[in-house]
Amino acid sequence: MGKVCVITGASQGIGRAAAIRMSREPDVSALVLIARSAAGLEETAAAMERDGKEVELIPYDLTDLDGIPHLVRGIHDRFGSIDILLNIAGYADPQSLLDTTTENIVTTYTINVFAMLVLIREAARYIADRPAKILNVASTAGITSRPGWLAYASSKAAVVSMSATLADELAGSGIKVYSISPGRTATELRRKLAPEEDLTRIMQPSQVADVIAQLMSDAETTLDGQNIVVRMRSQTGG
Amino acid sequence: MKIGMIVLAGGIGKRIGRPFPKQFLLLGGKPLIVHVLEKARVIADIDRVVITCPAAHLDETRRLLANHGFDARFSCILGGGSRQESTYLGLADLADCDSVIIHEAVRPLVTVEEFRELIAAEDPNVMFGIPIPFTVLKGHDYVEDLLDRDELVNVQLPQKFDRAKLAAAHDAARRDDAFFTEDASLFYRYAGERVRILPGSERNIKITVPTDIVTAEAIYADVIGRGG
Repeated sequence: MGKVCVITGASQGIGRAAAIRMSREPDVSALVLIARSAAGLEETAAAMERDGKEVELIPYDLTDLDGIPHLVRGIHDRFGSIDILLNIAGYADPQSLLDTTTENIVTTYTINVFAMLVLIREAARYIADRPAKILNVASTAGITSRPGWLAYASSKAAVVSMSATLADELAGSGIKVYSISPGRTATELRRKLAPEEDLTRIMQPSQVADVIAQLMSDAETTLDGQNIVVRMRSQTGG
Repeated sequence: MKIGMIVLAGGIGKRIGRPFPKQFLLLGGKPLIVHVLEKARVIADIDRVVITCPAAHLDETRRLLANHGFDARFSCILGGGSRQESTYLGLADLADCDSVIIHEAVRPLVTVEEFRELIAAEDPNVMFGIPIPFTVLKGHDYVEDLLDRDELVNVQLPQKFDRAKLAAAHDAARRDDAFFTEDASLFYRYAGERVRILPGSERNIKITVPTDIVTAEAIYADVIGRGG
């Protein structure tokens, strides 16, 4: 039986690149793509190499935490298992401390941390019978000081911490948990955060997706529980 | 051959010094009893698992089963006033089974391989045992007699028995008001049949006193590859 791979944030950026990359993996038989934008999901699906794989698109706003248990149960009922969960959805609206609204802090943490945690909790209920892998996308912003990015950076630090703890807590259940912290990546989010930057000169989402695919392969058995920094060698400010 | 399993979860936490039963203590972030049930879950040969609980913790244990995604193979029943009584009730609940495995919630470091070894053993009645590495004497205030530790065995769970024969042995023990601390002793005395001893593991410790959880954490860290 092939693997079922669930990807959040699949309508753009690293999530889209991961969906395209994972669609080339021979042992993946089904991909479930989740994002707010139905149009974005359609664009991702159009770029994938399906090769007989099932692809389900689920437009869903992850700020609706209460709906996540139903969402995950539906996926499990439809596909029978969840073997790979890629938590890539992210939100950033960097503001200095005194300019940051409570709403901004709550939205950032809800998408970057709370939704991820609830998704993992619900998925873990269903993936207890076979080995599985979960990968959470953090950021280099979560492991260094980022004045002006308080909510985003600290939420990504939470992702790093959460991943390390879950890697140990779920290890005995046969579930491996990874976190990666990409540096500057040429995504739509990056365009918003640094509009003056030449995106062709920094890391591309497909490069991050290659790392994700390597980590999710059966051959990888030792890097769970560690925060893996993904940077281009030539990069200095990522 | 239909195989059932009894998980004894009747602790009330007195000796471990906590205000809640020790089967709910966390090891590696998970309740001890969940460690045990997860091992049973991956063994398809086990048809049903019955957990015996005190009345005060039935709901909590059921909630744990639901939260951790255990299916209908797993159920909770009300335990008895003693360990022996709980086993007796578990045996009655598993009346449709030919063979029964008995384990306890506070031995979380049992392995799937140990359960499989027990199931695969040709003898119908089997226990794990390990040598006693220290000297044991008989006595209370004064030494009353010597014991040869080479003739003794430290009894471990899990154990496996012919369900009907163990149930009959329990009936006989109840008639005599005889109480035992585990089932190999009871079976040996009242069924009159051989109980095979398989070599157990020093790692399969029972969480009884507070320092046991410290030891268990160290063993578990090694089990999941976080030992350094």
